[in-house]
Amino acid sequence: MATLELKNLQAQVAETGEEILRGVDLEVNNGEIHALMGPNGSGKSTTAKVIAGHPAYEVTGGSVRLTLSEADVADIDVDIDEADLTWDLLDLEPNERAALGIFLAFQYPAEIEGVTMVNFLRQALNAKLDEREELFEDEDEEGADAEDDSGYDTSPMEGPADDGDVGVAEFQQLLKEKMELLDMDEKFAERYLNAGFSGGEKKQNEVLQAAILEPSIAVLDEIDSGLDIDRLQDVSEGINALRDEQGTGILQITHYQRILDYVEPDHVHVMLDGKIAKSGGAELAEELEDEGYDWVREEVYEAA
Amino acid sequence: MSTQLPASISEETVNEISAERDEPDWLLQTRLEALSALEELEMPSVIETPGRRWTNLEDLDYESIVDPLDQRDETERVSAEGAKVLDFETALEEHPELVEEHFGSVTDPQTNYLTALSTALFTTGTVIYVPEGVDAEDVKVRAEMNSTSLFSHTLVVAEDNSSATILERISNGSAVDGDRYFSNLVEIVTGENAYVQYGSLQNLDEDVYDFTLKRGDADRYATIDWIEGNIGSRLTRSDIETELNGDSSETKIVGAFFGHDDQHFDINARVWHNGEHTTADLVTRGVLDDEARSVYEGVQDVGREAWDTSSYQRENTLMLSDDSEADASPKLIIHNHDTEASHSATVGQVDAEDLFYMTSRAISPNTARNMLVEGFFVPVLEEVEVDELRDDIDDLIVARLD
Repeated sequence: MATLELKNLQAQVAETGEEILRGVDLEVNNGEIHALMGPNGSGKSTTAKVIAGHPAYEVTGGSVRLTLSEADVADIDVDIDEADLTWDLLDLEPNERAALGIFLAFQYPAEIEGVTMVNFLRQALNAKLDEREELFEDEDEEGADAEDDSGYDTSPMEGPADDGDVGVAEFQQLLKEKMELLDMDEKFAERYLNAGFSGGEKKQNEVLQAAILEPSIAVLDEIDSGLDIDRLQDVSEGINALRDEQGTGILQITHYQRILDYVEPDHVHVMLDGKIAKSGGAELAEELEDEGYDWVREEVYEAA
Repeated sequence: MSTQLPASISEETVNEISAERDEPDWLLQTRLEALSALEELEMPSVIETPGRRWTNLEDLDYESIVDPLDQRDETERVSAEGAKVLDFETALEEHPELVEEHFGSVTDPQTNYLTALSTALFTTGTVIYVPEGVDAEDVKVRAEMNSTSLFSHTLVVAEDNSSATILERISNGSAVDGDRYFSNLVEIVTGENAYVQYGSLQNLDEDVYDFTLKRGDADRYATIDWIEGNIGSRLTRSDIETELNGDSSETKIVGAFFGHDDQHFDINARVWHNGEHTTADLVTRGVLDDEARSVYEGVQDVGREAWDTSSYQRENTLMLSDDSEADASPKLIIHNHDTEASHSATVGQVDAEDLFYMTSRAISPNTARNMLVEGFFVPVLEEVEVDELRDDIDDLIVARLD
């Protein structure tokens, strides 16, 4: 049972000081699907990026906390105290957050030439396993491993020679299975990461990465935009599988009701001006689809 | 030329070098003419930006780094079936007419001060002869420099319908104290429909000053592809050039460099489109760390008679440090309007969004950066046909990243 909890989260653009988040409160438990909706500029994407630790934003107040259960850390070969199960994510680097089980599916995934999918994903999976061990090791043991992250030492075309926890053959099998699940062509494995991918292929790839990294909490930033109906269904299946098979908690940012027909949310939140203005069940999304956001704004400001 | 000629470089020296090798008279005369031209010749031109001349070849202390009578190297040559891969002296014995016909035919020994100096003083080198119709795969020349200075001359002759893939690797054997100088001229002559890929990897010690000019002459339907990898040396001046003289000839000039500490790379790629229907693709990628500097000049020159020309040029420099410096100058000169051409150069840092994307997948920032740098070189590595060369370049890149 993992819980991601945002409390009064405030953040600004680091470079300009422009205030974006003005006190976001949100709680996502594993196994739950939350939809985060709202007009452009309301702070949805910023919320996602701040959770993942994007350096372009500066947190000015509030907290982002991840609480894990014993079951979430069953893979870790170290004695774990109760106190080690709660993490203040704002104190951690993006890669450490990812290692603890936070996943961000990007609205605009980076295109990276020269790094193949298969190499990148295996590197990521092994990095996650390594980093997890390190995070849970006692403080005084940490020094020994601190310099240990330069282990990448061979061709990006062939993958690292040092095998990591998950070897090449084992990983290829895993990747193949996950790609079949998402109805992705095997050839993707040897392509460069997102380079020359269509919009839809990129989104599929984000879900594939989540399927491989098995996060506790996945934040999906407009995973549904730019998808045709077939791919929307593939992607939705992937998201549902994450929830059903891995118990991942999903925070899904979307503009459209459409994907919610396939990925049915337990909770819907409406964001306005950097805050959660209204929360409700799945029916709230339908209302928004019909009526737009103005009525939420009116309701909120009248009440205030 | 104002450069002070070292006292040790004289007609007597050149006579001695030539006599020791029992060289034919024409070569001695070519050497002596090059020597006497030194007074008049200029250094190769270098990029200048306001207030700055990027590479000061004049300032090198040739007196202390050139010792013409003490040149030592150990060079290993691997041939391919049907081809001849010979040291220069053996080639002069076994194929005197071939060498005489082609030596200096692609690069005029008197192109500039440094080519003339090299021609006057060279003591090592290789002749690669690929007879008509022969496919010579994986020819290898691995040279180690073991003296204060070393001058080398390589001649590749690929006859009609022949092909060759060649690896040349330059490094140091035993260490010698103090600054050193390495000079490397390479000429490629092609027959009709010949194909040559000449891949070079320079990994000299970082107190060696390095000058290289490699030039090819592409005949009808011939292709000359260059791979130019620069990792070592204190300073490198590299000129890689192809003349597309034959109709329908092609060339690729692919470069990679990775500088650190206070290394200096002056990298040049040039192509002349003289025939019709010719194609050129110039791709150079470089990475700079610490206080390393690079300056790049790329020239695509489309001649008046070069109808239906295709010519592309891209140069990208990635800076890993705020203290590194780079300048790039891609030039396109068009005298025939029937040309499709592009040229671009960029200088930038590792993309912050790319880094965030990778670290958000649990990859540490250092590993992510290293993956991005290695990936940056992949378009270059993919062009390399000799596996050993590709692996060597990649290994050196990885070693530099750690």
